[in-house]
Amino acid sequence: MSDTLVESSAESAFLDLHKKLLEQGRPALVELQEAALNRFELLGFPHSKHEMYTFVNIKGLVATSFSLPDGGVNVSEDFVAGHIYPDCERQCLVFVDGVFNRGLSRFEGVSANLVSLSEADQELKDYLSKTAENENDVFAALSTAFCSEGLVFKVDDNTQISGTVQVLFVSTGRSVGPAMHAPRLVWQLGKLAEVKVIEKFVGTEGGYFINSVQDWLLAEGAGVSFTQVQVDSFDSWHFSKTRVHLNRNARFYSSNASSGTQLARHHYEVWLKEEGSELRLNGVSVLDGKEQVHNFIRIHHEAPQCISHQHFKNVVNGHARSSFDGTVIVNEGAQLTNSDQLINNLMLSNDCHANNKPNLMIFADDVKCTHGVTIGQIDEDQWFYLQTRGLSAKSSKELLTRSFAQSIIQTIEFPEVVEELNGTLLKKLEATNV
Amino acid sequence: MLEIKDLHASVEGNEILKGISLSIKKGEIHAVMGPNGSGKSTLAKILSGHPSYEPTGGEILLEGKNLFDMDAEERSLSGIFMGFQYPVEVPGVNNAEFLRMAFNARRVCAGEEEMDPLDFDELLSEKMKMLKMENKYKERSLNDGFSGGEKKKNEILQMAILEPKLAILDETDSGLDIDALRIVAEGVNSLRNENNALILITHYQRLLDYIKPDFVHVMHNGLIVKSGDKALAHELEAQGYDWVTAEN
Ligand SMILES: Nc1ncnc2c1ncn2[C@@H]1O[C@H](COP(=O)(O)OP(=O)(O)OP(=O)(O)O)[C@@H](O)[C@H]1O
Ligand SMILES: [Mg+2]
Repeated sequence: MSDTLVESSAESAFLDLHKKLLEQGRPALVELQEAALNRFELLGFPHSKHEMYTFVNIKGLVATSFSLPDGGVNVSEDFVAGHIYPDCERQCLVFVDGVFNRGLSRFEGVSANLVSLSEADQELKDYLSKTAENENDVFAALSTAFCSEGLVFKVDDNTQISGTVQVLFVSTGRSVGPAMHAPRLVWQLGKLAEVKVIEKFVGTEGGYFINSVQDWLLAEGAGVSFTQVQVDSFDSWHFSKTRVHLNRNARFYSSNASSGTQLARHHYEVWLKEEGSELRLNGVSVLDGKEQVHNFIRIHHEAPQCISHQHFKNVVNGHARSSFDGTVIVNEGAQLTNSDQLINNLMLSNDCHANNKPNLMIFADDVKCTHGVTIGQIDEDQWFYLQTRGLSAKSSKELLTRSFAQSIIQTIEFPEVVEELNGTLLKKLEATNV
Repeated sequence: MLEIKDLHASVEGNEILKGISLSIKKGEIHAVMGPNGSGKSTLAKILSGHPSYEPTGGEILLEGKNLFDMDAEERSLSGIFMGFQYPVEVPGVNNAEFLRMAFNARRVCAGEEEMDPLDFDELLSEKMKMLKMENKYKERSLNDGFSGGEKKKNEILQMAILEPKLAILDETDSGLDIDALRIVAEGVNSLRNENNALILITHYQRLLDYIKPDFVHVMHNGLIVKSGDKALAHELEAQGYDWVTAEN
């Protein structure tokens, strides 16, 4: 608590809100909630110089008085259908205001893979309570304290889920007091299991706080392709924590495309626990107006011969803000680690901001690690070159900006997502540039 | 077609061009030679509208229109093309797509319809064949990782697609081996007609064996110090620049 400078009233507002939650009946995950709530009280909201929130101003968020989601909101099937990718119609899990909605979901093919978190086996429950007790991020603790029920997606040993699984998080805005939505997902992959997942975050209107937590537990040789598309309403808050545990030879390939909100923050924490595991973490954001996206990343290399690769690109315009705070920790014994981290920012206005804190902590002696940051404007020589071929100043700039963002977008393996991002994320540039 | 009258120009406050006059008519080829640093590329950049190069005196008229009233895009659309001495690498911008955009920008400017992508691809293939460029250069990023010679060929490919009225080729021959030089020169020659004109900036007589100039100008210290016909290029080749520059 000593770390806390924000008036403790902010915390007590959430504690009061939690009491209201309990008045509605005993939650399915009451013990987990309590552990998380204790952790939340202990951590408290971060003061402005807290090392995990150096670049993120949460004052407005914690000063907001939130209500509980009412659960009775109507989201139409048409709205949902408009956000399901073509190949995912048969396996799509829909969360509305943080709660899994069976009616809107389609999961014939994968119903055997789904378990409610409250019915998870003891081993998983032990993992979750230990994680809640040791949570280091106060917003993740808050999310767990409020998660009503969670979902476990389990893939057995030697099983490959065919096609792509989509998860759609729909948030609805509210006329009376914004609500916090706390979806909770655990992905559990057995030996040599594989799954491809696209997650999309959308809002029907603004004024909500989506605060999600996910755990990915990959057994030996398991493989995941994970794409996230964040297109929430601008006047929402979007926080996410993604925890990844990789055992021997497991692979986790992740791409995140964010269009930002008034405050969006993605926290990734990854453990490469056994030899031969591999992480690829890519991100692209295109921000304008007062949009923000902040990435906070901790990668723990705990075993030899593991690979981690990160590449983030931000296009920042208007008064937008982006930040990247990433540390790769190579523990003693993690020999022959191969790790790189690259952040490129393209600044299109004088009033935008990009803060970067890449960091390496190396406790092994035989490793290959690199990191780098670039912050730049449009390259004048390139810009001029295109104009001498008859392209206007405006369209030359758009072309250069697109090509900057596209090198990440093109790493996404789902053509329908790439196409959508070309249409939406990059469209934003056309409207506002020059 | 082009009238340059007493042109003065500066870059970063230093006067580089100190009073250049040159008149170019349709169908003509002018070679511009001269020692390193004499201002040849500066002249080319002033013609193409580079924002860092500032005209400080004189005027340039393109078909009677004041060139200084036009930005780089308008100059290009009016038919000026500069082949860069050092073509710029643009990673992430697809070569073929870029060429199509540039081609269509010109069509739209002329009040014509954009060309169908498949038709354009055919046109592009044909021009690439003429320059003996492999198809893979369509899919590569614009000049990204190209060798010096490949970049120069790619400049001529752009010229072939855009069919400019006035092309200024700044040392297009440097970095080309003799076979590539021949191919490029044949390409340039095939684009010539009585309505367009060419300025060739070069250090080597060799290029002028393939593309025969009507006039040869020698630049020194921001001025044209001698003009003549193609015999002048041979004299320069044999004797170097000293005898010309010493006179001034
Ligand atoms: N961007 C610039 N900034 C500063 N000085 C410049 C710049 N561009 C050209 N100059 C100077 O202007 C003078 C003429 O340069 P320019 O490139 O026009 O010569 P050139 O005749 O093309 O030479 P070369 O044969 O080596 O290509 C040189 O002294 C050069 O240093
Ligand atoms: Mg030069």
